[in-house]
Amino acid sequence: MSLISFFRESYVVTWKDMRLWVKNPMVPFTRSLMLPLLWIVIFGTAFGGTATNIPVAVVMQDHSTIATNFVSELGTGGTLKLIPASESEAFRMLKYMKVSAVILIPGDFSTRIKAGGRAEVMLSLDDTTPQISTTVSSKVYGMARAFSSSGKGIHVDKNTLYGRGITYLDFLAPGVIIMTIIFSSFFSGGLSLVMDREFGTITMLLVSPISRDAIIMGKIFAGVLQSLTSGIVALIIAFIMGVRIRTGFDGFLIILLILLIAGFGFIGMSTALAVKINELDQLMVVTQTIIMPMWFISGGLYPIASMPHWMRIIAMLNPLTYATNALRAVMLRGIIWQTLTLDIAVITAFAFVMLFVGSYLFKKSIS
Amino acid sequence: MIIETRNLTKEYNGIKALKDVSFSVKEGEIFGFLGPNGAGKTTTIKILTTLLMPTSGEVYVNGYNVVEEAKKVRESIGLVPQENVLENDLTARENLIFHGMLYNIKGRKLEDRVEKALKFADLESRADEKVRNFSGGTKRRLETVKAFLHSPKIIFLDEPSLGLDPQSRRLFWDYIEKINKEEKITIFLTTHYMDEADYLCDRVCIIDMGKILDLDTPKNLKEKFGEGEVVEITVPRARKFAEILKEKCECNIIKVDEERLKISSKHKERALAEIFKNADELGVSILDISVREPTLEDVFIHYTGKGIREGKGDFTKAVLRRFKG
Repeated sequence: MSLISFFRESYVVTWKDMRLWVKNPMVPFTRSLMLPLLWIVIFGTAFGGTATNIPVAVVMQDHSTIATNFVSELGTGGTLKLIPASESEAFRMLKYMKVSAVILIPGDFSTRIKAGGRAEVMLSLDDTTPQISTTVSSKVYGMARAFSSSGKGIHVDKNTLYGRGITYLDFLAPGVIIMTIIFSSFFSGGLSLVMDREFGTITMLLVSPISRDAIIMGKIFAGVLQSLTSGIVALIIAFIMGVRIRTGFDGFLIILLILLIAGFGFIGMSTALAVKINELDQLMVVTQTIIMPMWFISGGLYPIASMPHWMRIIAMLNPLTYATNALRAVMLRGIIWQTLTLDIAVITAFAFVMLFVGSYLFKKSIS
Repeated sequence: MIIETRNLTKEYNGIKALKDVSFSVKEGEIFGFLGPNGAGKTTTIKILTTLLMPTSGEVYVNGYNVVEEAKKVRESIGLVPQENVLENDLTARENLIFHGMLYNIKGRKLEDRVEKALKFADLESRADEKVRNFSGGTKRRLETVKAFLHSPKIIFLDEPSLGLDPQSRRLFWDYIEKINKEEKITIFLTTHYMDEADYLCDRVCIIDMGKILDLDTPKNLKEKFGEGEVVEITVPRARKFAEILKEKCECNIIKVDEERLKISSKHKERALAEIFKNADELGVSILDISVREPTLEDVFIHYTGKGIREGKGDFTKAVLRRFKG
């Protein structure tokens, strides 16, 4: 075969593929335009940004000018969002994950400085999100150094109350487990529906006497069982890799509950989407344009506090955020119900809505 | 009557796929729906099997209304659809077991039925093999025994021998007859193969463009139409020749083109004499001539004016596909 005929033949194959590419513009449009755009925006802004507005409780036991100055200086730059609180209130907020740290200015703060001694600031941290607590402590240490010109300096008494010794892997694991759940939901729930329709196997269910609702429910259960299995496998792998799970058997049950609710929600969502999807190709595009961004903007990979404002709003509307939060809270901090109720309530509501919408659309499509 | 439709009409976006279709099927017979692609055969089967809702008209299957008593209808029927809908990654046995479970057949009874079905389909030795490896004919056989695993009253077969080679087709027809005779199950099938309808069916309904053209036994249909035998002649200036013949002898012109002519006549001998005499007078020589019994294809052409294989394309299928998606 000569080189010319080789190129001619390759051209024929290319020609046909390009023809198809142009003919069905939705898939290539999203793939070659939307997707790169989306990735650039997400990767460019979601990751590596500096954290801002980190909620930190401040307990002022010293109301002197020096102490007030110190604290107001901490509030500059927008990194920390200072919330004045009483001591007990502050530690409760830390426990319930309302704040990432507690800064306590002791009553003898200014007197010690005035006496030329070493003043102390107590910094209590929640290390569940290591990037955030690092940002907080470097801000506090920096400010302490800046104030050290007066007197013998300020000593920061750092104390990690929650999530001591957490590594990035520990932080990442819950997010990855949730990602496993959502991906396998889409590929077991949605995909199986698309395949059933494409290959007509759904017909055999439709002509049999079992009810339409039972078909939907059966499909959903199978999907949930499959995604739950992969979630558990991910959990086991995380455990083997040394991710510390700071909870006992009851915590394990809560983990399963979270995975189960999330599984139902995502299976419902994938069912709703699958009704509108006719080909595998489209499912891939949906996965790439909806699922991947949902995961990146969930705080699973990188803390939400370091994302730009608009992205935080998306994160707040993203059910994955709540699922990841809940799972992370149980795995890294143990069972503290107050930190879990909101997250679990949100994902439960999401699951119900999605199951309803999914089964409604599915039922409509088969009757 | 095990199936009865009265003025059945089905519309898709204002286009009528079925127009006022009324027919009935007797218990125990093999009933054929014969027509080209897009005639409305699949639409009819989908309505009879509760997969589609009729736009208007009444449809009863095994005495139940397909709209109001869909579940009862579903319990009474088995379906072998056009496309292969077996689970390719399950074995033959698993496919049958799943099917039985759908119809709430359990335990010992299910085992017995599955064994029987495997035996019936000659698949005992391959029962635990994945269906993916089976040939088209084998899959079709499995699919058909699956359809009667739950002892339905009626089995619907949509274009059952589509894509089968001649040997498999003949084997498959024998299977259908066996199911019909031994299991006493009414068979409703659609086909666009004349020979299939002729070989298998007790009665045939000819349908085109959503309308019933005739319904009778294959024998009656052939007799009704032809009033005798079919003569096919290859001759130059066939059109002119046809005009002359029409005047001179009592015969029907079925089809004529440049140099081929097809006629039917009750009096074979007289027609042949006329043909040769007129050919001489016109000064054309007959290149070929044959006399045969009429086939259902002749009947079909008589009704629709065209051969069945030159259908109007897959219009109905295209519409259906849009609705499915």
